[in-house]
Amino acid sequence: MPKPNSAALDATLLALADPARRRVVELLKVRPHRAGEIAAALALGGPATSKHLKVLRSCALVQEERPADDARVRVYRLRPERLSELKDWLEDVETFWSDQLAAFKGAAEAAARKSAAERAVQPRSRR
Amino acid sequence: MNAGVVTVSIEVAADPHTAFRVFTADIDTWWLRGPKHRFRARGNGRLELEPGVTGRLFERYDDGSVFEIGRVLKWEPGERVVMSWRLPNFAAAEATEVEVRFEPVGEATRVSVEHRGWHALRGDHPARHGLSGREFEMSKARLWGENLAAFRSWIHHDAARPNP
Repeated sequence: MPKPNSAALDATLLALADPARRRVVELLKVRPHRAGEIAAALALGGPATSKHLKVLRSCALVQEERPADDARVRVYRLRPERLSELKDWLEDVETFWSDQLAAFKGAAEAAARKSAAERAVQPRSRR
Repeated sequence: MNAGVVTVSIEVAADPHTAFRVFTADIDTWWLRGPKHRFRARGNGRLELEPGVTGRLFERYDDGSVFEIGRVLKWEPGERVVMSWRLPNFAAAEATEVEVRFEPVGEATRVSVEHRGWHALRGDHPARHGLSGREFEMSKARLWGENLAAFRSWIHHDAARPNP
């Protein structure tokens, strides 16, 4: 069955295990945000927010930019590659299970037809 | 309600008890064959699921060896079975969880599979770069829980959308 066998995918899963970091990704999906805006939206302090942003940067879910007109400001932007990879893998796992369930359906329905046929032949032989 | 990473369901023309019995006792007869669907590379294992809580789900190979995929955590005939679920490349303590539910729909049964817990993987993996030991342990222990439903929906609908 499909295995999450890339280090990048593992890092994505792990980074997104934290609800605060998922919230950051949700915010950045709408538009890039400044660090201060993210801290305010999360109701977290600057240091805690920085830590989360550092994790998200280290696994390449977000990137940091400094606008040309103000080098003091840091703007965070979502990088879609990692999420696409996660999406592809989730779809692989879904396909795996869909294929298995389709095979299962054939077997379960054959078994149901067989017991219905047995009941029809010997109506009083079983409860 | 459950909110797994992966949920797939199908309706089968069989009553829930028959569906449960075929799913569990006959698992080797219908589970697709080949390396893509079985657990070890050659894809030639025979699957067995032992009934009841703590029963093993495993593949047995021609040379007599066995790979244990997981154990039964909940066993409710005709209703649901929950199993721990490991792949050959997982570390010792890593496991995901698979829940299979059987719900009557008229004369038929809706069978749903939820595969969850993928976030809890890989304690010894390079993935831990960027996370301190303590933080790593915390995130490993934390369940995604209800938020996953929302998470999954944005993964599916919007993940590839570039930022404006």
